[in-house]
Amino acid sequence: MANYHPNDELLMSFSAGQLPNALGLMVACHLDNCPACREKVKTYESLGGDILAECEEVEVSSSLLDKTLAMLDTVEENTVVPALFEEAANEKLSSIPKPLRRFITKDYDDLEWTGMSKSIREFLVNIDDGQYTTKLFRIKAGHELPEHTHEGNEFTLVMSGSFSDRTCDYKEGDFILADQSTTHQPRASKDQDCICLAVMDAPLKMTGVFGRMLNPFLR
Amino acid sequence: MNVNYGEMQKMDRPEINSDKLKHETNERAKMSALPQHKAQVSLMSNYRKKASTSSEGRSLTQKQPNELNELLLAIARDKDRKAFSELFNATSSRLKAFAMQCGASSADSEELLQECMLTVWRKAHTFKPQSGSAITWLYTIVRNKRIDMARKGRHETVQSDDLWTEEGGNYLEDDVSSELEGKAARKLLKVLPEVQKQVVFKVYFEGKSHSEIAADLDLPLGTIKSRLRLAMKKLDNVAKEQMSYG
Repeated sequence: MANYHPNDELLMSFSAGQLPNALGLMVACHLDNCPACREKVKTYESLGGDILAECEEVEVSSSLLDKTLAMLDTVEENTVVPALFEEAANEKLSSIPKPLRRFITKDYDDLEWTGMSKSIREFLVNIDDGQYTTKLFRIKAGHELPEHTHEGNEFTLVMSGSFSDRTCDYKEGDFILADQSTTHQPRASKDQDCICLAVMDAPLKMTGVFGRMLNPFLR
Repeated sequence: MNVNYGEMQKMDRPEINSDKLKHETNERAKMSALPQHKAQVSLMSNYRKKASTSSEGRSLTQKQPNELNELLLAIARDKDRKAFSELFNATSSRLKAFAMQCGASSADSEELLQECMLTVWRKAHTFKPQSGSAITWLYTIVRNKRIDMARKGRHETVQSDDLWTEEGGNYLEDDVSSELEGKAARKLLKVLPEVQKQVVFKVYFEGKSHSEIAADLDLPLGTIKSRLRLAMKKLDNVAKEQMSYG
């Protein structure tokens, strides 16, 4: 089970349906494996129910019910087929968490990773999002990234494997928020490559000498 | 720990936007233009009249939670159109109000309301009364439909089905023992003082960042953050309390 979680503000915004983008997908992936956060989301959804119940009533067009009733049969016919497609697609991609399956359509090993250096490869996840860039990073087992800091927020979710960062160890399911004040040098554990999903609102900024040389390739 | 779990500088804007919505009504317009079965329509009108008299003056807050449950269960079990009409009459004005609070026009809100009700019809079988109230289930539907309507046709965009992959579109069903809702009185919102509610509403309806809320309310950022933090702590406590009775 994950040790590092999205904060309550994020979970509330997610439950409010106000994170409908890359960051929302990342929270959804974390929730897949985190009963504690699911519990919080339940509370915030329940609060949403309260808020709905408290909304001041407004008038609804008198014809809307009849129009809606007339559409019920049409609705039913359209529902069966997509579900079947979905199931078939799911089976093939068991290692990709459900929320990402529309966006990452191959297994990790079949993705066209692009190299930045020997120790780290990346894959750009194409999610239409005005604010964030989404990437998968694959850090080679036992290797570490150049020390870097961030110009904006960067959210990281460990998808497989694990990495350490000074005093902390992060493993599958952990959700990490780094910002301008975070300088770190993540190192993948020796036994396997570490794959992380990163959602960032600004490019990484390298701090060490080696880092500055690498930086242009990260953009 | 060198990781900052602190506040975010930015959060995302609500995506609903009447311009976007206006371009996406074609399909629905076609559907409603289909010839309607006359006998059926008049039958429906009768149901509607009956339903409105019976539920007059007692929508949502007055309606017992288990009445809404019964209606949903009848829809799931029997595809009961009368139950559907009653549920529509009991909840539509608030679902529309919710959409309008999120910034949608009256017309767009009705379109969203209709989408919600069609989803209710299709997905009523995923509602599980033992794990959550009917109104919370309806809330998750209007929340999800709001996201999807603003993004229809843009495949590369995140849809609510990506975010809530469980059938039924929420996480309510995964804890069978939870008595968070159901028989328990609805009290999550009630435990929050007005000033905290105000900030929470801005999160739910407008998806605003803390600094935007601060600017809106002309208050220091720290005040907004502490109000929200206090609200969440209180909600957490109430939730735990209710669970321990479950």
